[in-house]
Amino acid sequence: MYKKIVEKPIENILFIGGGETDFGLQGESDAAIYQVLPILNSLGYTTSVIDDNPYSLAIESPATTGFLRPLTVENVKAVLAEQNIDAVLPTFGGTRALRLWDQVLAEWRPENGPVPTSLGLKPSQLHQVNDGRLLFDRIIDAGLNVTASAVVKNQEEASELLREMELPLVVRAHQPIQTTTRQIIDRLDDFDQVVSQVMGQSLTHEVSIAKAINGLKEISVLVLRDRDGNCLKVGSSEDMDPIGIHSADSLSVAPVLTVSDQVLQQMRAQSFLIANLLGLQGVLHVQFAFNEKTGDIYVIKVSPYLDQLTNRMAVMTGYPVMLVAAQLAVGKLLTEVVLPNAFHAKTAIMEPVMDHIVVKLPVFSFGDMEATGTQVSRQLNSVQKSVGSALGFGRTFVEAMEKAIRSAHFNNRSFAPKYMADVSDDELIQQLIHPQDNRVLLLIEALRRGYEVDELAELTNIDEFYFYQLKRLLAIELSVDQQPGDAEALKMAKKSGLSDGLLARFWRTDFQSIRQLARANDIIPTYKALEPSAGEFPEHARQFFATFEEENESNPVCDRSVVIIGPGAFRMGDGASAGYMTSVTLSELHRLKYKTIIMNNNAADPTLLPHLSDKQYLEPLETSDVMSVIDRENPHAVLVPGNRKKLIAALEDLGQNVIVFPKEKHHPAGPEFSQSEFVLNLFYDGKDKFPLIIFQHQPGQIRLLDQEINPNFLAGLDLQSPGLYQVIWRVDINQWVSQVDLPNLSIDTWLRPMPYGHIAYLTKVLKMPLGRMVVRAWIGQLNAADRQLLAEVNTNPNFERLALMASATDYALHWKPDHWVDTTRFEMGARIAPYADEEG
Amino acid sequence: MERHLILEDGTVFSGQGFGAPATTFGEIIFDTAMSGYQETITNPIYDGQMIVFAMPVVGADGIHAEAYESTTPKIRGVIVHDLAEVSTNRQRRMNLDRFLQHHNIPGLYEVDTRKLIRHLRETGPQKATIVDVVDDHAVDQLVATVLTNKQVQNTATPKAYANPGRGFHIIVIDFGLKHGILRVLGDYDANVTVLPFTTTVDEVLTLDPDGIILSTGPGNPKDLPDEVSTLVRVLQTKVPLLGLGLGHELLALANGAGVKALPAEYHGMNHPIQEIISQSIFYARQGRGYVIDEESLDSKKLFVTHRDLVDGSIQGIRLRNYPAFSVQFFPDGAPGPLEANGIFADFFETVADYVQKNS
Repeated sequence: MYKKIVEKPIENILFIGGGETDFGLQGESDAAIYQVLPILNSLGYTTSVIDDNPYSLAIESPATTGFLRPLTVENVKAVLAEQNIDAVLPTFGGTRALRLWDQVLAEWRPENGPVPTSLGLKPSQLHQVNDGRLLFDRIIDAGLNVTASAVVKNQEEASELLREMELPLVVRAHQPIQTTTRQIIDRLDDFDQVVSQVMGQSLTHEVSIAKAINGLKEISVLVLRDRDGNCLKVGSSEDMDPIGIHSADSLSVAPVLTVSDQVLQQMRAQSFLIANLLGLQGVLHVQFAFNEKTGDIYVIKVSPYLDQLTNRMAVMTGYPVMLVAAQLAVGKLLTEVVLPNAFHAKTAIMEPVMDHIVVKLPVFSFGDMEATGTQVSRQLNSVQKSVGSALGFGRTFVEAMEKAIRSAHFNNRSFAPKYMADVSDDELIQQLIHPQDNRVLLLIEALRRGYEVDELAELTNIDEFYFYQLKRLLAIELSVDQQPGDAEALKMAKKSGLSDGLLARFWRTDFQSIRQLARANDIIPTYKALEPSAGEFPEHARQFFATFEEENESNPVCDRSVVIIGPGAFRMGDGASAGYMTSVTLSELHRLKYKTIIMNNNAADPTLLPHLSDKQYLEPLETSDVMSVIDRENPHAVLVPGNRKKLIAALEDLGQNVIVFPKEKHHPAGPEFSQSEFVLNLFYDGKDKFPLIIFQHQPGQIRLLDQEINPNFLAGLDLQSPGLYQVIWRVDINQWVSQVDLPNLSIDTWLRPMPYGHIAYLTKVLKMPLGRMVVRAWIGQLNAADRQLLAEVNTNPNFERLALMASATDYALHWKPDHWVDTTRFEMGARIAPYADEEG
Repeated sequence: MERHLILEDGTVFSGQGFGAPATTFGEIIFDTAMSGYQETITNPIYDGQMIVFAMPVVGADGIHAEAYESTTPKIRGVIVHDLAEVSTNRQRRMNLDRFLQHHNIPGLYEVDTRKLIRHLRETGPQKATIVDVVDDHAVDQLVATVLTNKQVQNTATPKAYANPGRGFHIIVIDFGLKHGILRVLGDYDANVTVLPFTTTVDEVLTLDPDGIILSTGPGNPKDLPDEVSTLVRVLQTKVPLLGLGLGHELLALANGAGVKALPAEYHGMNHPIQEIISQSIFYARQGRGYVIDEESLDSKKLFVTHRDLVDGSIQGIRLRNYPAFSVQFFPDGAPGPLEANGIFADFFETVADYVQKNS
């Protein structure tokens, strides 16, 4: 007799968020979760999201129930019970979420009720992934190459290994507490110290030691798998720098250019094999090392969860990786995936192909810290040093690279070619062998000084292709330098991605005259659609990038459009929160029936998500790039961050309707120890000033005060444009207080626009949409209900007692600063936590 | 040097010449694959055609000994956006530019290839020429040129040859064989005899094959002499048979099905192909200008085994009464995904069965 097994279909899904941003975590999890919530709703699922990241956009989404709570086993269990959750999707939250969910499962008790289904990865696989050793054993069993490695529990065992393995060795924490970091040991002297340091980074106090494979080529492959084992390759990218430099710190390029089809097909097959070994439903990122001399391929890292490459591939290819991955996780087949109408009907099942080149360049923020007198190590190695990254899109490698350089370094003063002339020959050789953050310019400088391509390739383990490309760029720069005002030289330079600003410096003129020369000679960018079929099918493409060819595909959106200038790459300070604020702005403008056009080049934050805006320009954000888009779109208004003074002036000269996002070049300052900074937050609608709430800031933490503020206090304040502001003063108090005396406004305080991070935080703890209200104020659409809400918050503050905590970024590991760094001042991210003294 | 591409519809694209400075005529098509330019350029199925690569940078991996799909490329022109001059072979002297010079094939770079592809996807393939000067003469020449329909005769081997192994004896009938097929047969240690397509039933059967492969090849299957159909019709009843690409179209024709030209050819490797029996999907290199006409299929004789899920086209068929089957795509990869090489495993299983039953 047949026994019919009826499984109750899944209804309520919990997403575990990625937590605070840090090195290697730029908010991509939050962007991904935010993107997939509406489509899961439309498929009939109810969702919840738990995260402790105050900058999270996902937990504010109207398509979900958000929980701003510390990411602990108890809190996850509580939400599961409260919301009647029957399935958990941890893979969107990255490694932290996977570990937390693994832990929840381990601590599951019968009284907790039936165990919720794990989506994406089955519990047994989840466990293998968290314990890398088990995973790699299976990969070896399947016949794939990995580098010889072993896990040790103490110094003795580690030293024992030294007899069997030759230096260099890679040492990394087994089951790391934070993100994975690899350290390379070249010298015996360093061995004991590194092993003990790394042991401290492991949850289990174990260290994995492997043979280093420095110098090999690193290639990443991203694939999707559905429940029946159907696999699709989303794309692959290669790092210019060899293994030994952290992948995040390397220039990388997609599609892969310097590896043969045969090798790529093997990597594809191995990625599919690993996806099937794991039986995962969703996305898998495999990192490979390739030895060109022997043809050997090694699997070096397996990430069966969402990471930065997922979001980046989605932006680079136009293929909606996250929308598909979420549907695969809930059990749909690739052939059953449903996409919004904006996509071609077959997009989900066609492997994306690219007819453009994308270069990713890391962004380092060493200068910000050095400016405060702290010396840091700029040398690149296996530990990540970059805080963010920017993308450059073009139709040649040179164009994409030049645009990536311009995206990563708005102000290319320190990146200007001539700066390199000061580097001595000895230093140059040293830096070729021990690369620093100015890697690309140094390579160009070496070519300028006449080093041969093959000797440079030998010295750096960088493929000759890149040197030939850099030589082309050098030749173009030289010809530009020698022919001031020449239209042909200008055309060549623009085709190679150079900006008007850089050309103006070459020709000792201003960017306006370069712009005029370009227009007079019809050197105008043509915008190409970025879509996943490489021209095979007509797509309703809404993503564009500039190049200089014959056909332009971008037509103006309409006359009620607003161009929003994005924040660019994630930098120290307001990285994740800038993405948050820009996204809120896009969403609100869209709600108010404006057509929105975003310009940005950062794939990690949500700003480039296709559903957030009507059109996306994937471009650098220098004045010339913005002006070209403005020329093309002729928008109703342009929204510009307040720190872009030159751009604002240039746009106003053009007669554009400029709305300024109040923003300072935000260097997160903070109180000294034994001090408190008090911050009075206020909303200005262009006419009235609404005091909102006061918070107290002690090093590392911010708490709210339950104190009413007399609105008259702000009477003397002179504000230019609507927005959120902060009046700040310092007091020598090192305890948390519930009331504070207001200072003399005109003498003891200073004013600044509210940092985006604080907008995100206050929006959540005050439960009022401050970001959206600011947008409404900018365009004169603040309504009576808004005003009432704003007037009431001061007298009747009903806030969640959650502190804003600076994240505990491990600068000692990443940057090796010469003295202790206050992470409040150099913020990589933040999280919320209950007030410590009120816990329990 | 500036050179130009003229299309039959009068459209002109300009770029910089590379490769040979020759003027050629061919049918222009586009390819959306992101890897394997050397394999594609040397694939005999492109005899008489010019290829526009959607991949914007071509040549960055040099020219490799293991990436030849034929020793003499028969392609008529290569159009790219950006050309990389990289040599990766031992002599460090062979880049894509020199390779095309050597084979007297012109190339054009710095072309707005995306515009060209968007144009071709609307017009379908058409005649084209690469020239130094655009004038009436060049246009007249193009209009007057009749492209050959004898591509198979031009590219396939005129003589039999062997590629010995110690396994099953497989006869490959060459219509424009790509090396990838021989490479896979080598993996199976097959004892291979390649015969010209003008071979006869007698010649084939005298060699006592364990299995027969109808190879890939260029052009329209209907341009081949009727004898080919007769040959296939007889052989399919005697020995296990696998048709690939053009060979697949020939198997269909031999069994009464029609074959029709596609409005826009498809050359790439990103379309999902579904195996109907298992419903599973995979990806494979495709290069097709023709497909089997659905309506003409006699379901008493044949059934469909594979379909392209993008355009619904038939990608595989099997005979009901004989161990003969065929696929439109290239299961050998080269370039392209390897997940379809189970087709060869199926074939060798069929061959093993046949050998066992007839020993």
